[in-house]
Amino acid sequence: MTVTDSATISAASSARKTALTLRGPQKLFDLLFGGSTIFFAALVLLILGGVVFSLVSGSRLAFSTFGTDFIFSQFWNPVTSKFGARAPIYGTLMTSFIAMLFGVPISFGIAVFLTEVCPPVLKRPLSVAIELLAGIPSIIYGIWGLFFLAPFMQSYVEPYLTSTLGAVPGLGILFSGPPLGIGILTAGIILAIMIIPFISSIMREVFETVPVMLKESAYGIGCTTWEVMWNIVLPYTRVGVIGGVMLGLGRAMGETMAVTFVIGNSHRIASSLLAPGQTISSTLANEFTEATEDLYTSSLIALGLILFVITFIVLSFAKVMLIRANRQAGN
Amino acid sequence: MQTPIDGTNDSYPDDSGSTRTAPLEAKSPVAEMTNKMVIKDLRFYYKKYEALKGINMALYDKHVTAFIGPSGCGKSTLLRVLNRMYQLYPGQYATGEILVDGQNILDPKLDLNLLRAKIGMVFQKPTPFPMSIYDNIAFGINLYEKLPKSELDGRIEHSLRKAALWGEVKDKLKQSGLGLSGGQQQRLCIARAVAVKPEILLMDEPCSALDPISTQKVEELISELKSDYCIVIVTHSMQQAARSSDYTAFMYLGDLIEFNDTATVFTNPSNKRTEDYITGRFG
Repeated sequence: MTVTDSATISAASSARKTALTLRGPQKLFDLLFGGSTIFFAALVLLILGGVVFSLVSGSRLAFSTFGTDFIFSQFWNPVTSKFGARAPIYGTLMTSFIAMLFGVPISFGIAVFLTEVCPPVLKRPLSVAIELLAGIPSIIYGIWGLFFLAPFMQSYVEPYLTSTLGAVPGLGILFSGPPLGIGILTAGIILAIMIIPFISSIMREVFETVPVMLKESAYGIGCTTWEVMWNIVLPYTRVGVIGGVMLGLGRAMGETMAVTFVIGNSHRIASSLLAPGQTISSTLANEFTEATEDLYTSSLIALGLILFVITFIVLSFAKVMLIRANRQAGN
Repeated sequence: MQTPIDGTNDSYPDDSGSTRTAPLEAKSPVAEMTNKMVIKDLRFYYKKYEALKGINMALYDKHVTAFIGPSGCGKSTLLRVLNRMYQLYPGQYATGEILVDGQNILDPKLDLNLLRAKIGMVFQKPTPFPMSIYDNIAFGINLYEKLPKSELDGRIEHSLRKAALWGEVKDKLKQSGLGLSGGQQQRLCIARAVAVKPEILLMDEPCSALDPISTQKVEELISELKSDYCIVIVTHSMQQAARSSDYTAFMYLGDLIEFNDTATVFTNPSNKRTEDYITGRFG
């Protein structure tokens, strides 16, 4: 034992000597390497700062002309150069809300199925399918929405909604009007489909952090799978789940192409969900080429700034939640 | 019932043999024993692997039975078969019969949730639910009973007293169960298991994550609880088996090698492997 020990020690010390002679150029290289990574990292901050700066400076004209009216006014008329962002803001929030309304419960169901109920043979194919769903470019969702989902909504879903929910006092106004196929509701559903893969995979991940023993002890006092999920797993992963939902929400609010295809692009706040509307991102996508005047361009940039602020708030909220979830899981 | 000498005894099981006569004397009225659970030719499989190779034994009501044996011998597996916890995982199945009060619990038509409510389980690590101390216990009760508030409060206090935890938590019932110490959490889990009024209590190494003082408390608790329940405890600690059980089953590689009253198993084992294991020659 001692012989081998001393042998390894001498081998190690000779190795260290060779290393020391190589140290000079290595050190220089390391310094360059370290310096360049700092540069790349700084680049991110620079780009972010640049975007914020150009948004703020670009939107100054719109805000100085209209003041807070820009946010609260509903009129958007390029001909008379009157711009108000209320309709796009309403559209963004409403479509995102609809997306959450459908997307969150469905994602929860998918995540519960994958973590608790799914036979192992199906687990992998299903997870891959969900990842593929997340990988579909949004333009494809847009085309699909316009050529398949919108006609489907128009001929089946919307007439049905009008005849059933439309007759309910109070609620009915949301489902009134002609079935156009394209509109706020259809856009919300497309968004729901797009965010389901995100939310469900995050939920699945946080559900898998729940200790097996905790679930077993709930089953052990006679809980059903639903009771275990709802009363034990969900409270245990509460924070992570909220974080995942917020990430999905952030994505829904910023999504552009698919929404632009199916929302109908009308600058009016209609009481009906079946009516066409507008989101911030769809307004930008539609009108940027038409914006010839400075005030028009500035108003569009101001819309971008508003969207940036909303998503920033949502995403930082999500980030904080996820950090707290990780800390909780670490304990 | 247990001699206090046991708790202070040193760590060699063969030395402690002389004190093991106490439990034997204590449970001399053998005639009062009733079989709570009868296991007949129980075989258990993880996919193709046979983890339990035909177990035959009886668990007695109002007594503590300990399962001992080296890692991988199947003692935890056996415990998880007794409340069909294995059913949560695909590819695991059991054959044979387990009769609880004459009813075969391996019957696929049996309501699993009712079964598990009747057979409580405590795990290696404390697993308080992410809710208040009060709700931790109320949760299990509310699954099967709708009690008025006052009665529910009474049941919760009773369970916590049973688990020797009432005095420590009575002023903070609304606080999270996660804020308790490890030993308190484990006693909370025992209180939770007791609260649903089970008939059998399965304990899977209940003290393996606890410090010596908490371990002692849980062991005291076990000897108190056995007047009401049929208790089964899986343990790695032979002293614990010797201290707190009335019957001991030694298992090895999926077989039940020896099953007898604890004093006999520890002082006069009939099988060579049992003797080797309890004297620390392997395992």
